Amino acid sequence: MNRSAIALGKLVSKVTDSALGPYQSAVIRIGFAATWLLFLLREFPHRHELYGPDSPWSWELGERLVSDNGAFTVLLWTDSELWFEVVYVFAVLASLLLAVGWRTRAVSVFFMVGVLSLQNRSVFMGDGGDNVIHLMAVYLVFTRCGQVWSLDARRARRREAAGGEQERADVVGPVLWALSAGGLLAVSLSGTTTPDPFVPVLLWTVWAALGAWWLVGRVAPRSDARALFDVVGNIVHNTALLVIMAEACLIYATAGWYKIQGSRWQDGTALHYPLHLDYFSPWPGLADLLASNATMVMLITYGTVAVQVAFPFTLFNRRVKNVLLALMITEHLAIAVVLGLPFFSMAMIVADSVFLPTTFLRRVGDAAGRLTGRFRPDGQSGLASATAPAGTGPGATGSAWVPAQGGPGWAAERAKHGGEPGAAAPGAVAGTAAEAEAEAEAETGAAGTDAGGAGSHGSETSGTGASGGGSTRP
Amino acid sequence: MEAHEGGSPPEETHPPTGVAALGLPCRIAAAFALAAVAGVACVHLGMVFLHLAPSNTLSKQHAEAIDRWVYPEFEQNWKLFAPNPLQQNIAVQVRAEIRTEDGRTRSVGWTDLSAEDGRAIDGNPAPSHTQQNELRRAWDFFTSSHDEENRPVGSRGRISEEYLRRIVVMRLGRAHGAEVERIQIRSRTLQVQPPAWSGEKASAEPRYRVLPWWLVPDESDAAAGESGGSAGFAASGRARGGAR
Repeated sequence: MNRSAIALGKLVSKVTDSALGPYQSAVIRIGFAATWLLFLLREFPHRHELYGPDSPWSWELGERLVSDNGAFTVLLWTDSELWFEVVYVFAVLASLLLAVGWRTRAVSVFFMVGVLSLQNRSVFMGDGGDNVIHLMAVYLVFTRCGQVWSLDARRARRREAAGGEQERADVVGPVLWALSAGGLLAVSLSGTTTPDPFVPVLLWTVWAALGAWWLVGRVAPRSDARALFDVVGNIVHNTALLVIMAEACLIYATAGWYKIQGSRWQDGTALHYPLHLDYFSPWPGLADLLASNATMVMLITYGTVAVQVAFPFTLFNRRVKNVLLALMITEHLAIAVVLGLPFFSMAMIVADSVFLPTTFLRRVGDAAGRLTGRFRPDGQSGLASATAPAGTGPGATGSAWVPAQGGPGWAAERAKHGGEPGAAAPGAVAGTAAEAEAEAEAETGAAGTDAGGAGSHGSETSGTGASGGGSTRP
Repeated sequence: MEAHEGGSPPEETHPPTGVAALGLPCRIAAAFALAAVAGVACVHLGMVFLHLAPSNTLSKQHAEAIDRWVYPEFEQNWKLFAPNPLQQNIAVQVRAEIRTEDGRTRSVGWTDLSAEDGRAIDGNPAPSHTQQNELRRAWDFFTSSHDEENRPVGSRGRISEEYLRRIVVMRLGRAHGAEVERIQIRSRTLQVQPPAWSGEKASAEPRYRVLPWWLVPDESDAAAGESGGSAGFAASGRARGGAR
């Protein structure tokens, strides 16, 4: 009894104290944003046919379907050509800015608006890849995905170095926020095309919360209320990350379990068929080669099903999970080329990468940092080599307008200055959430193992500064 | 994930952080937030699970609630090549009567639009959705919203007809630079031959599904993109009227 209470307390403090998986959330932010960006650029010559007012899926058809299903899109506000171009460029810019992590909190919302507006405008143009990006664009809004590998993180580091003075002068955040109000009013007043309240309510909620967060940070930067915002931000982030992981598992489980029921997957020839579909065989020679060997076709067919069904269960064992992860990423790379589905495959690989070990991600980040550092005159490491999550030091106090991107810095800081050490066991607040989070524990368990491994590795790069309260800089 | 706990110094050197550092009222608020967020996440995952799972007693019982939760933004389908991969190549073909610039009417024989897509995809490392999805999914949409006799089922049937017609007219217009007056669409389905080593044989005979001739409304519809308005609907009504 007592032991479970302690475990519960640990769990609660784990999900409230910090935004977990900074590298995993950064890699999916960059990945999904880049996938959508590349897709939009690739389709730039075809954009009118896909989403424009004179698309075969005409503005009127879109309007008829959307008035029926209530999906969110700003593209149907008017059938003006100019509006369409504006929205397309907006979507491109939002993807670019999200990938580089500029004002991540606000831009993740813009990214979602861009994705939903285009995809819901012409639902019949999309495929599985679009579906993944659609869902993840919504989930990303809830994550603090700019803690590392972002311009936000760099800004936080510089602010820290400058002793937190720049923050006062920050005008971009409030300006963005005020501008968003205009967009939100338009969303709400347009009324004609969005009978489903989910997205408008979400937009208003995020907007109000960020405004309040910023205000509390300005008025009472050392108050409990300010700390509460951080805690709730962490809770939302950690839950969203869990949902993203669960979503990836649901994708594989669905794909796998339904395949088990298929006669072609049973008789070991399934692989042969997609390779011979005219719509999915850009390289017929390669497809023929792959399909030529009976044994290989059978093994790949069975292997695909086995991996997809097994993957969610392997999350409980770090090593097996990583092996399967490598297999799945390899298979998706093959699908990208052989079936001519590069954007679908890229989206799936990004979804997979939320399960990558922190040590691996850091190594990739450091390598990328060295690579970009070589081209920097000041020799300063770039985005990629930011090893410590931003906002973990005192400089993060009341971090700018994009507060959600900060780590647990504030709470830690406050604890150092005025908190009541050990005032109460964290477990006391667990209450009814206990059962709900038990599942979370199981899920994050495996990923946690990875990050745990990173902990010891991290000590050499970022020092104990990454732990609550300390600063990474003297 | 312990990323933030970095070098794992002894526990007792840490002052309380997060919730533990809060005063009681805020701690209660945080507890409520945690319960609410966790609750919503569980409901969400449960709903998505039931949406994805085969129809079962639970999902039938709560079908309406699931649909209301999942649609429109969380709709998803992951039966990727499942339960069986598609085992036939379905090509959409069209023939038409077009009016050339000098005002004469000309017939265009059966043209395989899917084969055009296929040629555009061949050797293409990143096929466009316009080549890979547009016509293919429009035909799927049509067949799923029509009965065997090609009669529209439900409100989406009409929409799918107009969509298919607009794709075909756009592509004929592109190929011939002329105004399209009437079209007839058919699909040709060819079984993918099972692998040689499986000892199975599939029919090599193509199957055809032939739709009636459709009248194409005047160019106000072809230009509907620019002009907008309801002209397109009225026109498509006429087109269907003419087709019967």
